[in-house]
Amino acid sequence: MDTPMGQPGAPEPQQIRVNFTTTSPDLQLPEGRTQLLVPADIKRYGLSRVLNSESMLATPSPIPFDFLIDGSFLRTSIEDYLKSQGLSSETTLTVQYVRSLIPPVYQASFQHDDWVSDIDVLSATSRAGLWSGERFVTGQDRLVTASYDGLLRVWNNAGSVIATSPAAGSGHSVKAARFLSANQIASAGLDRVVRVWKYNEADDFLSGTLKPSLELYGHTAAVEALDVHGPTGRILSSASDGSVALWTTSKSAAPPAPANLLPGATTGASNKKRKVAASSAAQRGPLSLMQPHTSAASAVIFDPADATVAYSASQDHTIRTLDLTTGRVENVITTSHPLLSLCAIQRASSSVLLAAGTSARHITIADPRAGAATTSVMTLRGHRNMVGAVAAAPDSEYSLVSGSHDGTCRIWDLRSVRAATRAEGGGSVSESVYVIEREGGDASSKTTKSDVPGRGAKVFGVAWDRTWGIVSAGEDKQVQINRGRDLLAAE
Amino acid sequence: NIDPTSLLPKLPRPEELRPFPTIASIEFAGHEGRVRSVAIDPSGQWLASGGDDGTVRVWGLADGKQQWRVKLSSEDPVDAVRWRPGQESSILSAAVGEDIFLMIPSYGNPELEQASRDILDAGFGYATNGKQLTTANGAARKDPPAKWSRPGTRLEDEGVLLKITVRSPVKTISWHRRGDFFCTVSPTGQRSSVAIHTLSKHLTQIPFRKLPGLAQTASFHPTRPLFFVATQRSIRCYDLQKQELVKSIQPGARWISSFDVHPGGDNLVVGSYDRRLLWHDLEMSSRPYKTMRFHPQAIRAVKFHRSYPLFADCSDDGTLQIFHSKVVSDLMEGPTIVPVKMLKGHKVVNRLGVTDIDWHPQHPWCVSAGADGTCRLWT
Ligand SMILES: [Mg+2]
Repeated sequence: MDTPMGQPGAPEPQQIRVNFTTTSPDLQLPEGRTQLLVPADIKRYGLSRVLNSESMLATPSPIPFDFLIDGSFLRTSIEDYLKSQGLSSETTLTVQYVRSLIPPVYQASFQHDDWVSDIDVLSATSRAGLWSGERFVTGQDRLVTASYDGLLRVWNNAGSVIATSPAAGSGHSVKAARFLSANQIASAGLDRVVRVWKYNEADDFLSGTLKPSLELYGHTAAVEALDVHGPTGRILSSASDGSVALWTTSKSAAPPAPANLLPGATTGASNKKRKVAASSAAQRGPLSLMQPHTSAASAVIFDPADATVAYSASQDHTIRTLDLTTGRVENVITTSHPLLSLCAIQRASSSVLLAAGTSARHITIADPRAGAATTSVMTLRGHRNMVGAVAAAPDSEYSLVSGSHDGTCRIWDLRSVRAATRAEGGGSVSESVYVIEREGGDASSKTTKSDVPGRGAKVFGVAWDRTWGIVSAGEDKQVQINRGRDLLAAE
Repeated sequence: NIDPTSLLPKLPRPEELRPFPTIASIEFAGHEGRVRSVAIDPSGQWLASGGDDGTVRVWGLADGKQQWRVKLSSEDPVDAVRWRPGQESSILSAAVGEDIFLMIPSYGNPELEQASRDILDAGFGYATNGKQLTTANGAARKDPPAKWSRPGTRLEDEGVLLKITVRSPVKTISWHRRGDFFCTVSPTGQRSSVAIHTLSKHLTQIPFRKLPGLAQTASFHPTRPLFFVATQRSIRCYDLQKQELVKSIQPGARWISSFDVHPGGDNLVVGSYDRRLLWHDLEMSSRPYKTMRFHPQAIRAVKFHRSYPLFADCSDDGTLQIFHSKVVSDLMEGPTIVPVKMLKGHKVVNRLGVTDIDWHPQHPWCVSAGADGTCRLWT
């Protein structure tokens, strides 16, 4: 047996027998190499070097690894771990190695004029960038923010606003924005209209224009959230009355707009005489309008692999699987708390797990195929206030980021699991791997000494992209970017 | 020998009675000076507040963002804000001095605004302002109990569409569940201290000329045509159709500040400035079923949740006390009342603490207004 860390001449350190396992098919150790004696004082970094070495995985360039023992990440030496668990050094430890999540380092904050309600990213690695193909110009990475001031803004990666929309919600707060492609953005908010914008940039990429191309009418209550599917030109929206609508960006395929909802249908209804410039945009109606929920529908998303399936999460405590072809609810997952946010984690097995942020400060992980009997497969605990935003990690089946009213974003690894305490109500619990605090502006002074966790720094939107890193925004009027280099280092 | 404590009813532990609010989730900051009143709208999306700065503000309940604001007075505080029940409209009422304003906050829903406007304007067709000049016995009266009018261009442009002026400063507003009647109480109003207003007719009536003391607050029964009026020391229940006194309740408090009728209709909780919280079973005696003292300072408001078995009070000590209350229909068994949580966070300013509370229509969440100038959402 090798002792790669042994130092000749030095007093022989105590050694521990370790059995390495992994769930990554591309990182399997050769037959007979999975057991090893390692020095008892070895920590994560040492173990990572051992695994990368020629006699083990023989990786062409080192992959940073993390190590899970019994569902917990190793954060001390093996010796200290054994002591803390009351285990003998004779024990053979089973150690699961996973690609490491590097701590997300603070990069920059972009100053906004008002609270930011939502954010989306465009890059070569983002969903909309991939949908755009050659229309995405390499290096021209963009952000879009939706704001309570009623405007959409497009930002470049230097933190400059390249384009600002005309009033995107007839003066009312915009609550959601998504890139459909490098040239198309969808938005919606309090004024109930889903808008599609044509986005074009000048040749020098330093300025751009946002022009309304389509106004979609059908919701009779404020729109809370949007999702888009570029290849089919479909948009999903969910509203505060529990309704979910499906729309198309195709003017010819879209049904006509319901006449009673068009501007001017109600005379003199607007209290303030808002100046709404006559829109040149075409007006259309929904492909379908569903009423799956009895309380506000906080979020709706397309299934990542099948754009005819959607999931919606609601303050009525449920996540519903919607068949967009028939408009029927196919499955209901009932939880114990109002749900405020939703994302899908694509598994290698081509199934998905759903992560729903709750008002009760945790995140519920649910399997939409499991049927109504099973509620959650895991609970992510640690936030100190409502969880209003969640986003899956790029290229990972195990990780996600959440944004909370507590003024933090947290990164979670579903492989790190422990059994729940009785007070937590049973099941499996995972705790966050990293916590991202607010950095820009005067966020730190605002959040100190308050009985309201995260006061002044609520996070309302978060996106996670391989190029951009983790982008978050909210009440502190800051767009914050955090990045761990090779955060999930896939080959 | 029997251990006397073994005969006491076993109260469940608070953790077995979840859900109930446990933490402050959102602070609503913006008012200058004290906030005096809070109310969550029937949809559960919006929080209205009013206070010493003479403004009424509407906030997103889930995000804490102020979405609408109107200044009703530069001299008088806003003493009460209450939403009209029902989701077919979005109408907010507010009391400032002798005026009650009815307004339509705007947040981007023109159909809802139009429906609300239609409800407010319908009464102009009745022109009752001029016809209200006779009393019950037919004698001519010189002064109508209230004047209904437009509040003027500045306010109308902001969405404040109706002003009802009564004779004395209004301290409380309470709506009937159907949204056509609301009552107001002016403690200094003597013979016209309690008024019932009919929105669809722009009509104000004074149901009682004589009360045994200064009226404090009033409200409609949640299901039956009964009406409750609290004076400083007693609460009287009237049948509105028969125009007769049904019941008089003596909570034993020296100065009642607030009461609320249980949504089941047979129980009542009363809060008092002399720090007492009293539970009355309306089908039993006129004396309280239970008297509780949890606060070292005055209790300002009490409120039942409409669907969860919860109620709350708030006090000048700066706290809210949350109770779980199980009411059973069995006549032999009284309600089980368990204090489950004390909520702390509001600062006490000049010996004033938490001034008002309301519950969310669907969730086990409550909101509070504070003399510290903030409102809080507790979840
Ligand atoms: Mg209230």
